Amino acid sequence: MELHQQLTLPQSVDKVWAALNDPKMLQQCLPGCERFEAVGPDQFEMTVSTKIGPVKAKFTGKIALSDLNPPLSYVIKGEGKGGVAGFAKGSATVSLATIASEQGEATRLTYSVEASVGGKIAQLGGRLIQGAARKMAQDFFTKFVQALCEDETLVPEIETVSAP
Amino acid sequence: MEAIKLQVNGRKRTVHCATNATLVDVIREQLHLTGTHVGCDTSQCGACTVHLDGDAVKACTILAAQCDGSTLTTIEGLAQNEVHHPMQQAFNECHGLQCGFCTPGMIMSAVDLVHKEEELSPEAIRSALEGNICRCTGYQNIVAAVVQGAAGMKEQQS
Amino acid sequence: MSGSLVGQRILRKEDHRYITGKGRYTDDIQQVGMTYGCFVRSPYARADIKGFDVSQALEMEDVISVLTGLDVAADGLGGLPCGWMIHSKDGSEMRQPVHPVMAAERVNYLGEPVALVVAETKEAAKNAAELVLVDYEELTPVVDVASAAQGEQLYAEVPNNTCYEWGLGDEAATDEGFASAAHVTHIELTNNRLIPNAIEPRAALAEYNSGTDEIVLHTTSQNPHLVRLILTAFVQIAPEHKLRVIAPDVGGGFGSKIFIYSEETALAWASKKLGLSIKWTAERSESFLTDAHGRDHVTKAALAMDSEGQFLAFKVSTTANMGAYLSTFASSVPTYLYGTLLAGQYRTPAIYVEVNSVFTNTAPVDAYRGAGRPEATYLVERIVEKAAGEIGLNPAELRRRNFIGKDQFPYQTPVALEYDIGDYEASLDKALEMASYETFEQRRVEALARGKLRGIGLSCYIEACGLAPSQVAGALGAGVGLWESGEVRVNPTGSVTVLTGSHSHGQGHETTFAQLVADRLGLAIEDVEVVHGDTGKLDFGLGTYGSRSLAVGGSALSVAADKVVEKGRKIAALLLNTEVDNIAFDAPVYKMMDSNETKTFQEIAFAAYVNHDWPSDNLEPGLAEKAFYDPLNFTYPAGTHICEVEIDPDTGVTEIVQFVAVDDFGTIINPMIVEGQVHGGLAQGIGQALLEQAVYDESGQLVTGSYMDYCMPRADNFPDFKVGMTCTPCTHNPVGAKGCGEAGAIGSPPAVMNAVINALGGVEIDMPATPEKVWRAVLSSQAQKIA
Ligand code: FES
Ligand code: FES
Repeated sequence: MELHQQLTLPQSVDKVWAALNDPKMLQQCLPGCERFEAVGPDQFEMTVSTKIGPVKAKFTGKIALSDLNPPLSYVIKGEGKGGVAGFAKGSATVSLATIASEQGEATRLTYSVEASVGGKIAQLGGRLIQGAARKMAQDFFTKFVQALCEDETLVPEIETVSAP
Repeated sequence: MEAIKLQVNGRKRTVHCATNATLVDVIREQLHLTGTHVGCDTSQCGACTVHLDGDAVKACTILAAQCDGSTLTTIEGLAQNEVHHPMQQAFNECHGLQCGFCTPGMIMSAVDLVHKEEELSPEAIRSALEGNICRCTGYQNIVAAVVQGAAGMKEQQS
Repeated sequence: MSGSLVGQRILRKEDHRYITGKGRYTDDIQQVGMTYGCFVRSPYARADIKGFDVSQALEMEDVISVLTGLDVAADGLGGLPCGWMIHSKDGSEMRQPVHPVMAAERVNYLGEPVALVVAETKEAAKNAAELVLVDYEELTPVVDVASAAQGEQLYAEVPNNTCYEWGLGDEAATDEGFASAAHVTHIELTNNRLIPNAIEPRAALAEYNSGTDEIVLHTTSQNPHLVRLILTAFVQIAPEHKLRVIAPDVGGGFGSKIFIYSEETALAWASKKLGLSIKWTAERSESFLTDAHGRDHVTKAALAMDSEGQFLAFKVSTTANMGAYLSTFASSVPTYLYGTLLAGQYRTPAIYVEVNSVFTNTAPVDAYRGAGRPEATYLVERIVEKAAGEIGLNPAELRRRNFIGKDQFPYQTPVALEYDIGDYEASLDKALEMASYETFEQRRVEALARGKLRGIGLSCYIEACGLAPSQVAGALGAGVGLWESGEVRVNPTGSVTVLTGSHSHGQGHETTFAQLVADRLGLAIEDVEVVHGDTGKLDFGLGTYGSRSLAVGGSALSVAADKVVEKGRKIAALLLNTEVDNIAFDAPVYKMMDSNETKTFQEIAFAAYVNHDWPSDNLEPGLAEKAFYDPLNFTYPAGTHICEVEIDPDTGVTEIVQFVAVDDFGTIINPMIVEGQVHGGLAQGIGQALLEQAVYDESGQLVTGSYMDYCMPRADNFPDFKVGMTCTPCTHNPVGAKGCGEAGAIGSPPAVMNAVINALGGVEIDMPATPEKVWRAVLSSQAQKIA
């Protein structure tokens, strides 16, 4: 499964970068995230409950940040095990760029996700993964923008772009 | 645990079950009516079809708790006074079953179909049975059975 | 045949319980104190197991025990064996990796069981299974059949992931045939992987009684005695007399319930170990992952002909997928059930076939309705049809030119079989007539006017059924003989209980076998009860598969019934005070030939049990006889199927507009049941051709793992089938029957695909002919026309 999308955030690159590196912020925005702890430099552990199609799963997994190029880009890699439900793994390249906008300084955030799932979640929810991933991204960035701008009415427009 | 009152095949029954128990689990494990079968986990095969307040439903997709106060008919309740229902009789006479596993669901769906549709061509029956899978018969004799069973039901009414 | 029941459309005796919801399938059984099992399965196609942590699961309420692959290993349980030894061309034995009951160190396919949770409730077992932590280290899997031999080696003892490299036939003679050929037709095709999908999922209930030290195992099996034999002799769970296996009502099998699986084995073992009754029933998802799949061949072949279209030689090279382990009969399917059928209905003088069977990280593959014979028929009938097109001959005519004539039987083929009898032209002629073959061209033109592409396809199949003459099977590597047992027990009041080692899971034996015996003894069918499926009731039996029940099991009953008649003559002679030779049986009456004194069968039955003065030297009381029938040869059902399709070029949707099947099954006991078997087989064969395919992605995840993604045939996928019969009775069994269970699934796929390819103007596609594939083919055929 691959997903390439971008959106514009009405904040400076530095602020967005800081938020993207803040475990509390990430936990708060990640749908179903019950735990998100730093266990080492750029290493985190988390627990996420999710439902794809008919399969409900609680994933516990590790997240690692790499290829850090502050404040412009990083690669976030994750692997989660959901017991009987199966497993999920993937990585996302996230990059930021300053753009001019009517409201002043803004940031363009682009991400490319590659992910795969296995076990029951793939068997029963395989066809639904793409949709589920899109929805998760939408939910994540909606909360992210809202938290970042402290405005609960903001809904970011996410556009799909062709693979880089 | 929920206490659920049902009218099952003409008898009043009360069952206690977990909030998330499906109707088919309650039918099979608590009411011990094992003629209603489970053939899938995605609501596609129709082996679990029963009549709830007169409509055919897939009992694997309904929570028992939703059925409180309802009237339930399972395959065991279709024959009256030990006499086969016309649809049951037609399945036998047309050889509309082999292993018999899909059969209760097929018969319950077919009876519902006849209740709801005035004219049933073989083509209409074929497309209406889309939610019931049979791996044994190739469906041909099932379609013949539904045609014959529908005629039998009409006759019984008049 | 003496009476009037054979050949009648008698309604099924067993139907009453099924249509009233009183069938009793394994999952319907509930026992007081019963507990529930749930299996923990691998989410990876291939991984090392680094450890188990069952502590959290054990802490859950209502959880009794968690047993893992390590416990299986610690108890020294044997692996699940494969019952058929195949030798490679170089004489070496096939390679058989150990197939553990539950994996302890390494998992080799998605869904492989690694642990069993036992709990007081089904819910508790499922919830606790989620808490069993298994530490996996994922490994690169081998998934693709064609390149499996070059993939990473999966088992230390299996170089090139190759189970065997088998060959059959005379390669030199075949090459000579090609050297002198006027025309050679080549073909490459795959036989798509299928998932059997009996609608009743597999299930087992194991009950251990510590008082008697006996385990009773109810399970969804086509052959309960074989389950008992393997669990006791090979896995060594209990001594054979302390394990009773019962296969009660079984909701369809199609091969998938022949095999001995991990689940019932683990349950039987756990029930004894824990002193409990434990039930497990597969969810459909588990069935998709772990029921043995079917087919999965990749083949290249060539057919050599002379200038008249006479077949000279046929050469075949096939790679067959075994999956991760050898299932119970897996090794025999792409060899002796495939290679031996490559002569088809034809006189092809030289045939050579090579089959390489490979292991991959996918579910085990074994016999599925037809088993090997559909793969052979698909290949032969596709290449013959293609050859006809290439040399510009009518496909029916090309077949006719090469048929084994009806006066040429018995016929020895170049691939080991000796066909006893057949009349292939008769089936072909009848099918052509029923299909209005002559006027097809008009229908094609008319369809084109409506914007539809219409095509017609033939398939003249043969199968070897009635498995199997033990001597032949043994010589070919079978671990057991393939005879069958039968017993006819006459009760004192004259009713009869028939016990058979065959097993019915939809075939209607309770009717057909009763018909056969009642006919022989002159009884009403209501007076004959058929008992099957319980090792506690019958001596031994080999079960139902390979269209063998009537031809072998029915023959055993026929012989047993003859013995009953014979013993009845002796009793009649005693009662009538005459010589045995003076007694004739004209069912249901014994007659004294030189007087008009008679005794009815009922009188004889009663006397057999209540008479007091038996001559002690040559006549014992009682009237019950057994027979073990070992067939002398396979049986060879054959026939012609003709399919007509219409393709919508805009959507690629293929509609079957007519399907004709004419089959020769020899003597038929109950035509209604036989037609039902044909219908069911056709639905599965057409399902293979148009709809069904099991797909794994490159990481070994099953992409078609539910009814949302695996396309099961529905009622509206089919027209009414036109079914016809011809009859040449089998020459070597007392019933004259050949078997009918698999013919539909064997004959139909090539008929459908030949019709599709015909409609596409010759563009070849592989099964299943999904709308997408067909639509692309339409585009390429249009492009070809323009070019
Ligand atoms: S069990 Fe309800 S639809 Fe299959
Ligand atoms: S009769 Fe067996 S599934 Fe329908």
